Amino acid sequence: MAAAVFPNLKYSDSLTVVGISVCTAVVCEAISWILIYRTTSYKSLKSSIDKASKKLETMKTDSNPSKLSVKKSKTKKIDRVETSLKESSRDLSLFKFKSGAVVALVLFVVFGLLNSLFEGKAVAKLPFVPLRIVQKMSHRGLQGEDPTDCSMAFLYLLCSISIRSNLQKFLGFSPPRGAAGAGLFPMPDPKSN
Amino acid sequence: MKERKSGRSSVQQQQQQHLNGHFSPFKFTRLFDPDASWDKDQLGDVLHWIRQVVALICGLLWGAIPLVGGIWIILFLAISSGIIYGFYAMILKVDEEEYGGHGALLQEGLFVSIMLFLLVWILVYSLAHF
Repeated sequence: MAAAVFPNLKYSDSLTVVGISVCTAVVCEAISWILIYRTTSYKSLKSSIDKASKKLETMKTDSNPSKLSVKKSKTKKIDRVETSLKESSRDLSLFKFKSGAVVALVLFVVFGLLNSLFEGKAVAKLPFVPLRIVQKMSHRGLQGEDPTDCSMAFLYLLCSISIRSNLQKFLGFSPPRGAAGAGLFPMPDPKSN
Repeated sequence: MKERKSGRSSVQQQQQQHLNGHFSPFKFTRLFDPDASWDKDQLGDVLHWIRQVVALICGLLWGAIPLVGGIWIILFLAISSGIIYGFYAMILKVDEEEYGGHGALLQEGLFVSIMLFLLVWILVYSLAHF
């Protein structure tokens, strides 16, 4: 597609991959909005997680009481709020998982389509030699031994993570920071996949 | 002595604003105002987007010059983290303990920015030089 528009560019297929990734991201977020984000269950769960995490933060940063009995009761309160937060996070994950099957199907179909279009073809050139473990994906299905040839799968992975994550963030669909599993490296919300 | 700002009263103010339903629109002048108060989520979001902009600019530059080699990924990480640290510690002068420590602030948007940087770098390099 991009090859027809930009015949002089050797790696114009990379633009096709990015374009399809952008469209897929928009479609997936639209489906997620219809099935998940606009529902009252999701809104109430998100609101309770936000409130619980803010409450927990306030309780933890308040000055430490000197009396042991007051300290014990404060610790119990913190434990209660933490338990409530974990339960709400679990419920949220479960809720999104059930509705995310449709989005997963869309992604599967799109990946299959891209695979059929670009199998065995280098869609881009890497400006670095990736680690061996990364080459399993970046050189997937490609002929030859040049480690800087980039397969569709690797480029699609980069597109998916960067474009979808930022789109979710921009639209306000990212999981709340207080939710369990936000982790060191937050990925695009997997329950929307 | 380095000034430190507590976010505790500002967090309570923000919470009160939310409860009242009055949200003030984001003003970009706050980005350079050391007296502005920051909610944890707001600061996290700002740091996330700063990382993405830095990733975009570095990817465009690295791909256009072009800069080749894995070492430039390390340099990007150093530049990106340095900018984030400089922003929250020196410009905003926030007390990082109020926001979860240096680790929490530095890891906002880190992984996504690495992916975005690689994507832009690879695209610009492939399209501009072949």
